[in-house]
Amino acid sequence: MSMSERKLTPDLFRPANLDSNRAEEISKPSLSFWQDAFRRLKQNKGAMLGLFAIAFIIVFSLIAPTFTKYDIDDQELMRANLPPKIPGLEKVEFLGVNGVDIRDVNQYEMKNVPKDDYFWFGTDSLGRDQWTRVWKGTQISLYIAFLASAIELIIGVAYGGISAFYGGRTDDIMQRIVEVLVGIPNLVVIILFIIILDPGILSITLALVITGWIGMSRIVRAQIISLKNREFVLASKTLGSTNGRLISKHLLPNTLGAIIVTSTFTIPGAIFFESFLSFIGLGIQPPIASLGSLIADGFRSIRIYPHLAIYPASVLCILMISFNLLGDGLRDALDPKMRR
Amino acid sequence: MLRYITQRVLYMILTLLIIATITFFLMKLLPGSPFNNQDKLTETQRYALNEKYGLNDPVPVQYINYITKLAQGDLGYTFQFDGRTVNSLIVNGMGPSATVGFEALLFGTIVGLLLGIMAALKHNTFLDYGAMVIAVFGIAIPSFVFAGLLQYYVGVKLQWLPVAFWNGPEYHILPAFSLSVGVIATVARFMRTEMLEILGTDYILMARSKGVSKSAVIFKHCVRNSLIPIVTILGPMAIGLITGSLVIENIFAIPGIGEQFVKAIQVNDYPVIMGTTLFFSFLIVAIILIVDILYGIIDPRIRVAGGKS
Repeated sequence: MSMSERKLTPDLFRPANLDSNRAEEISKPSLSFWQDAFRRLKQNKGAMLGLFAIAFIIVFSLIAPTFTKYDIDDQELMRANLPPKIPGLEKVEFLGVNGVDIRDVNQYEMKNVPKDDYFWFGTDSLGRDQWTRVWKGTQISLYIAFLASAIELIIGVAYGGISAFYGGRTDDIMQRIVEVLVGIPNLVVIILFIIILDPGILSITLALVITGWIGMSRIVRAQIISLKNREFVLASKTLGSTNGRLISKHLLPNTLGAIIVTSTFTIPGAIFFESFLSFIGLGIQPPIASLGSLIADGFRSIRIYPHLAIYPASVLCILMISFNLLGDGLRDALDPKMRR
Repeated sequence: MLRYITQRVLYMILTLLIIATITFFLMKLLPGSPFNNQDKLTETQRYALNEKYGLNDPVPVQYINYITKLAQGDLGYTFQFDGRTVNSLIVNGMGPSATVGFEALLFGTIVGLLLGIMAALKHNTFLDYGAMVIAVFGIAIPSFVFAGLLQYYVGVKLQWLPVAFWNGPEYHILPAFSLSVGVIATVARFMRTEMLEILGTDYILMARSKGVSKSAVIFKHCVRNSLIPIVTILGPMAIGLITGSLVIENIFAIPGIGEQFVKAIQVNDYPVIMGTTLFFSFLIVAIILIVDILYGIIDPRIRVAGGKS
């Protein structure tokens, strides 16, 4: 028995504090819900990795285009289809960034490109710098994703919140509308919408929002309905809180966790749909580019110039994986009961 | 239950009617007609063409004609080929599309189930983490990126399998595999969660303490019970497969419905766009309906809740 091995001596014990005034004292520092959630998130290696990767890509997409002197639509047919060449790393044979294409021809020498010109990700069929295009494309993809998610969030929270908070007939009518809308496949609506409006940043965002808000509104509605009849809300109501105070002080803060988790999953969803649309030719139109349109262009000539598709595809994959990891981590951290 | 099914079918018809209406009017809003670009046509010829396809009638008349024909299952004529109906295009494309879809579904479900079961049985080991890394990758990486890379490395560089087209069984492997990645990931994740939950229940403990063999516990008790809720993810999975097939068919040049759809968008072939849109919508709405009903039949606990909403 382990008890007998450890001798219990009286000096291991200390009289309990019987002072009735200090009985309620909490000896550990109290953690708010958010501090606790952040502590849990930090323990999740995958989620932290995702968070850093996302931060890195966002920062890089903003500053990287300034690293080169070429803009997104600087064409020069003399230097078309150059393979990537990176100073320093060009000496390392197996990385394949020494300006030699897949037929072992040094395109930089063949096309008489000045010695100090380096295209880190190569150039496309019009001689535009792929490095600038990839990072500007990332910028646009992220911009569309964040904008669409933000609008979805506002509409979804408002719709779901109103529907749940007022209940009764309002809820009935609003939910019947949602029930019909939710049956319409979003793919179909998005494609039709883009055909009508000309493809562009705004129309893609709108098309994403038009079907996207429903998911958010359903989650918010479910959360608020379950919160509405809880004791603390009833107590607050009994004490004479206005509806505005109930919503802003009690209902919304308690729904925030679910809202954040849903948003982290709508962002990669939006990135996916945007690149999907670009891929079937309904997305961002030249001269600007998004990750999807770059990948689509790249795949067209992947047999000869694989570098055109590989780099934007890698950025897209890293972004998608990171957002998914972060979303999983946030869900575990914010809702320990839902842990999967 | 019957009342629930009737109600759901009515909703489905309403949804389809709304989709048909939206599609119709959106198509009417589009600038231009399919015959505008052909400058060689004289005014009379153009008039005759418009007359033939009923484009000279007022819009409300066209709408009523469209809906009446739709109710009879007639999707109209395509503008691209003379005298061919949209129905025939869809029927022709259905073979390859359905084949790839089912192959992907079958392969994906089997591999996903195996991965999920393995991950749950070896919980918190290297195998478990490996399976979950595959799952996150499978969910996150869009199928068209995966398909493109696969086509390049396996088709072009290694030359193990044909790069594209649709001429025999070996042509099915790459497209079906690229489509199945999402299915593998979703099923594996779901199966792992379900298995872990069921492994911790009392009846498993009971079976073990009775001395039931390990494989019997796993296959007769765990796997069979975990399979029930998997019906719920069939709907989203089918939608994912349809979305994926649009681009996969384009990448691998498979003569399916998805390819027709994208081609129709590029040449403003309204009837084909409307027809395929409706066909996809019908497919998705019907799958979701069947899944919901199926789930109510399989799991009695859902029936009560399902009957209410």
